[in-house]
Amino acid sequence: MADITVEKLTESRKQDLDLTLLTTNSDGLKKIINNPELHRPGLALTGFYERFASKRVQILGETEATYLSQLSEDRLKKISRKMFDYGLPLVIITKGIAPPAGFIEAADLSGTCVFSSKLTTAELTTKLSAYLDHLFAPSIMVHGSLMDVYGVGLLYTGKSGIGKSEIALDLVERGHRLVADDVVKITRAAPDVLLGNSSELLGHHMEIRGIGIIDIEELFGIRAIRLQKRIEVEVNLTLWSETEEYERLGLEDKKTKVLGVEIPIVRVPISPGKNITVISEVIAMNHMQKVYGENAALEFTKKLSQTLSRQSVTKDYLESDFE
Amino acid sequence: MIKRTAIVTNRLGLHARPAALLVTTATKFESQFFISKDSIRVNGKSIMGVMMLAAEMGTELILEVDGPDEIEAMAEILKIIESGFEEST
Repeated sequence: MADITVEKLTESRKQDLDLTLLTTNSDGLKKIINNPELHRPGLALTGFYERFASKRVQILGETEATYLSQLSEDRLKKISRKMFDYGLPLVIITKGIAPPAGFIEAADLSGTCVFSSKLTTAELTTKLSAYLDHLFAPSIMVHGSLMDVYGVGLLYTGKSGIGKSEIALDLVERGHRLVADDVVKITRAAPDVLLGNSSELLGHHMEIRGIGIIDIEELFGIRAIRLQKRIEVEVNLTLWSETEEYERLGLEDKKTKVLGVEIPIVRVPISPGKNITVISEVIAMNHMQKVYGENAALEFTKKLSQTLSRQSVTKDYLESDFE
Repeated sequence: MIKRTAIVTNRLGLHARPAALLVTTATKFESQFFISKDSIRVNGKSIMGVMMLAAEMGTELILEVDGPDEIEAMAEILKIIESGFEEST
């Protein structure tokens, strides 16, 4: 969660949303937006303030603007003042419409910014909503590495020093792409979508024990990196242990929850001489196959059951044959 | 689990060398070690993670150590941070 000031939001989205500031009181630029939702104050303008979502960014479309313009000066002043008294964070009027002077006066008096946007209400709502949703999406930092292997986002987790960076390096060498190493920022972009990227400072740097810090983009070029990737499978690396039991069939997908989103988790034991790179590629391909509706483990066990039942039919036939 | 706070006291802040010193010290112990600055929490055994904090002089760090040797680990870690990462200023 990151609250944003009106100034930062309108500066960074100025071109995209085609914004022009209509008010002169600069206090409004310092106001903080802490709600990703938008509100159209149609009913509030008519004087109905029950359930008025005043903490949200207010969007005035052509309908609201037309309503305001046909009001008497007195009524406009009264209504505008009442609305701005709620301490609105920001007001945007669409289609480049200039609101009546009394409305702007009331905004300046209360220290609220009013912007005009050349976009239509639908365009503005879509763009601003997407931006605010992304900004307010829950996110966490995770210790691990994120790789794009054949287009599947694999998140490597495991204890420090287990070799996550080395596996990532090996995968890069085989033509796969690094998203982030050591610190992965995960954002819940949609109710069931996790996006991972690197922190601005770390970029595509990596620490390899014995060598130090290296820059993957410098060493391997642009083909070896990716800025952002949907996380599809977690690969949890553990030291191989005699007493631990590992998955042998893969009939059921083990799941883990990250920010409330369920993703499959594969636990891979590590032991000297084991080629995790190839295993990683197999995990990615296996995941893709499941996405396309093929499940190798399930198909194989089906075949086995068929063979078993066929054998017993033959056996029954031979046993009951007295010719 | 032990939780302590510490302030970065050396002039240059938690730059590469102090980060390396802190991480190598933490790695000697079996216990898990996490450092937080504001809302960012990273693994204290990961040098990239520690450097990502970009903690300048005066920053308050929250240290969490959890494991069988947490008492010794926390003592060593605190000693290093409080000594200004063994840097002269």
